[in-house]
Amino acid sequence: MNRLAFPTPLTASMLLGALLLAGCASGVRNPSGMPVTRMNADEQGAVAGTGIESQDLVAVTDKMARSILTNPELQKAQGTPRIVLLPVENQTRFAINKDLFLDRIRVQLNSKAQGKVRFLARDRMEALEKEQELKKQGLVTSSADPNVREFKGADFFLTGKLSGLTTKARAGVSDYILYTFQLIDPRTSDILWEDSAEIKKQGNDDAAYR
Amino acid sequence: MFPFRRHCLVALLVLLAGCSSLSPEEQAKRDRVLNEDREALTHLRSGNYAAARPLLDDVVTTLGGVTAGDRSAREARSYFKEESRKSFRGEPYERVMTYYYRGILYWMDGEPDNARACFRTAALQDADPEQHQFDCDYVLLDYLDGLVSEKLSGGGGGDALKRAMKSVRGTAPPAYNKALNVMVFAEMGHGPTKYAAGEHGEQLHFSAGSSAAVTARFRVDPTNDLPSLSIPVPVYDDLTYQATTRGGRQMDYILANKAVFKDTTDTFGNAALVSGAILASQGGRGSNMDEIGAGLLVAGLLSKVVSAATTPAADTRSWESLPNLLGFAALKLPPGRRTGIIEFLGPSGQVTTSRQVSFEVTPQRDTVLFLSDRNQ
Repeated sequence: MNRLAFPTPLTASMLLGALLLAGCASGVRNPSGMPVTRMNADEQGAVAGTGIESQDLVAVTDKMARSILTNPELQKAQGTPRIVLLPVENQTRFAINKDLFLDRIRVQLNSKAQGKVRFLARDRMEALEKEQELKKQGLVTSSADPNVREFKGADFFLTGKLSGLTTKARAGVSDYILYTFQLIDPRTSDILWEDSAEIKKQGNDDAAYR
Repeated sequence: MFPFRRHCLVALLVLLAGCSSLSPEEQAKRDRVLNEDREALTHLRSGNYAAARPLLDDVVTTLGGVTAGDRSAREARSYFKEESRKSFRGEPYERVMTYYYRGILYWMDGEPDNARACFRTAALQDADPEQHQFDCDYVLLDYLDGLVSEKLSGGGGGDALKRAMKSVRGTAPPAYNKALNVMVFAEMGHGPTKYAAGEHGEQLHFSAGSSAAVTARFRVDPTNDLPSLSIPVPVYDDLTYQATTRGGRQMDYILANKAVFKDTTDTFGNAALVSGAILASQGGRGSNMDEIGAGLLVAGLLSKVVSAATTPAADTRSWESLPNLLGFAALKLPPGRRTGIIEFLGPSGQVTTSRQVSFEVTPQRDTVLFLSDRNQ
């Protein structure tokens, strides 16, 4: 007799029992967590969005620092030009710490320009003035005449603007960001140097969040 | 392979993949955004802005990430795991409010451009690009975007103002005046909450929020250099309206499919159990009829198990401490220490709640006040 290949009720019950037991797992992957991964600032990490990230900051500021150093106006300048940083204007949809851009450009220029340009610490004026006042009053020592004002004026202002364009579709979002930086002569308001960098990113959201 | 065995194997594999439960630690991790939102709002209402800031920053960072490849989201789409297993990011009105609050704090800290960035991203959360009737329709988000542009650049807010005017359903906001230096953000009532409807709870619905106050009035106490001043703080946005008019989610289709699957497997299970029982009772022991009947019983049982394991319930985790109404007003005050009062007003103009306010107006930056009728 031809027997049909159905499982017997006993086999089926065993299968059911096995699957129920298997179904009681904790559901946690990597229960002990993941070790810290050290990355370079210009690497894209596993956690990413379409906004402004460290790798963008590094790429943009490297490009700007190189571009400033090759600027003929700066190379021809009499003496060592003094630069004051003006805050970057953020016109994107991403809230950022704007100082990061100018700070990194300043650091890059200071380390690579070997004294060709100098930056003025205008953001520390309050502390500097207080120190000078203490010197004037003789409360602290001074290596030069404290009554002579030696705070220098700016030969150039370095500033920038971040502008963005966002496109959204149901599946995700795309963000284009244009980074522009300028060196401005405060005496004439001439823009002596300008350069830009542009970055576009897009990402799709999981359907569970759409 | 014989079809019956194959079906059993599929059902087995499916069940093996499902039914697992999350540890409390893992669930807390997936609710992190919700818990941080709630905690941040509690701090905001108690005036502890320093504590609210990092919490909102963390949420903003999470919301800014792309969710492609998110394991919790993949699980939420599966037949056998609840939607609430996905890491909470909130519905659009909840995400909007995270950015809105962070924007207020940036403005408070003298960073109006970052505040504008938050208002712009908030507006993006509300937009559904494929259904233009669901474009962002918050009056305040567009209005504040334009106001900041006007204040920073002396122009450029016109487009944003036009967008804001298109969304007006009650009081229209005033034309921009970049000389205004005190921003009053007011919020009132209890916001919408979520509940699951449908036979299997697969439909996400919203319970309307409520508010005793429908508008507010801000009064500045007189001083030597300033006479008493009173301005209305009109309501521009209603979170219940926003929650209930956003249109459907793609997840709704996924949940509807899960519900159909649950019903189908349950119906099949019933039919197989009944047929199997009848066949098994009619054939002799060991006969083909008996074997087929037993097989149908097992298949029916498996199908019922699969049906029971299917979880189409919608995720009803809510940021329930949100307000229902958002109001705003701006005024110009000379620098100095000021005191005043905000009065929240009911429909007939009666004061429902009031809060004393003390603040400093400085020449360097705008003064931003966040006032809730639920301030603690």
